[in-house]
Amino acid sequence: MMNRRDMIKLMGAGMVMATTSPLVTISHASEVEKKFKKYVGVPMSKVEDGSSVIKLKAPSIAETGANVPVAIDSKVPVEEVDWLMIFVDNNPVPRVIKVDLTPMNGKVYFATRIKMAKTSNVRAIIKKKDGTYLQAFKEVKVTIGGCG
Amino acid sequence: MAIGTAKIRVPRNIKKGKPFKLQFIIIHPMEPGTRKDKKTGKLIPAHHITKLDITFNGKKVTHMDVGGAVSANPYFAVMMKADEPGTIEISYEDNKGGKWKKSVKVNVS
Repeated sequence: MMNRRDMIKLMGAGMVMATTSPLVTISHASEVEKKFKKYVGVPMSKVEDGSSVIKLKAPSIAETGANVPVAIDSKVPVEEVDWLMIFVDNNPVPRVIKVDLTPMNGKVYFATRIKMAKTSNVRAIIKKKDGTYLQAFKEVKVTIGGCG
Repeated sequence: MAIGTAKIRVPRNIKKGKPFKLQFIIIHPMEPGTRKDKKTGKLIPAHHITKLDITFNGKKVTHMDVGGAVSANPYFAVMMKADEPGTIEISYEDNKGGKWKKSVKVNVS
């Protein structure tokens, strides 16, 4: 049973969250860009939108961050692809895995299960042999932890 | 099962030159090195697979740089194609010096 005192506490917490969250998102965006540059090697602005050619399959809501299935399927011919990477914005180490493909693969496809610290964008990044980058991303909500 | 054991799954009928799905699971704790032991408050040291190579008849098919954020007992799936019967070999190592390999023979028609 919730009494008046608890209610006020909750409201207070809610207000704090509401007031601080815009600031958090701004600093968060540049933080992600910094991480992106560090782990992928190019600034995010150099990476083109590849959502029309890369199919990224991941759940919208993951009950546990310990085991999130991710599958990448792409129409880009495998002969043109150098590597593909799974990148999770809010992980302590965002570069989850990098996969070098060869024409022996026959098709650009990769699936695995990853760990996620909290709700975050999951990105599939493809580096093509001509030096261009493509990415597709999807937000996965992780329900462990409070204010997700 | 012991750490480093792998199970590989390939289709029974593989058509020459047609991509098929290669799936495998490796038994490994995949400790990322960023988690804390709840009782002692100390960091649990990293222990995860770092490199993985797939070859077919000795030729390179795929190389992976694996991070600690891949789930425990990791599952991987890639496509590959074969023009002749042969052996798929998966070799992998972790950051504590463990090295393993596992191979499977495939028939190609």
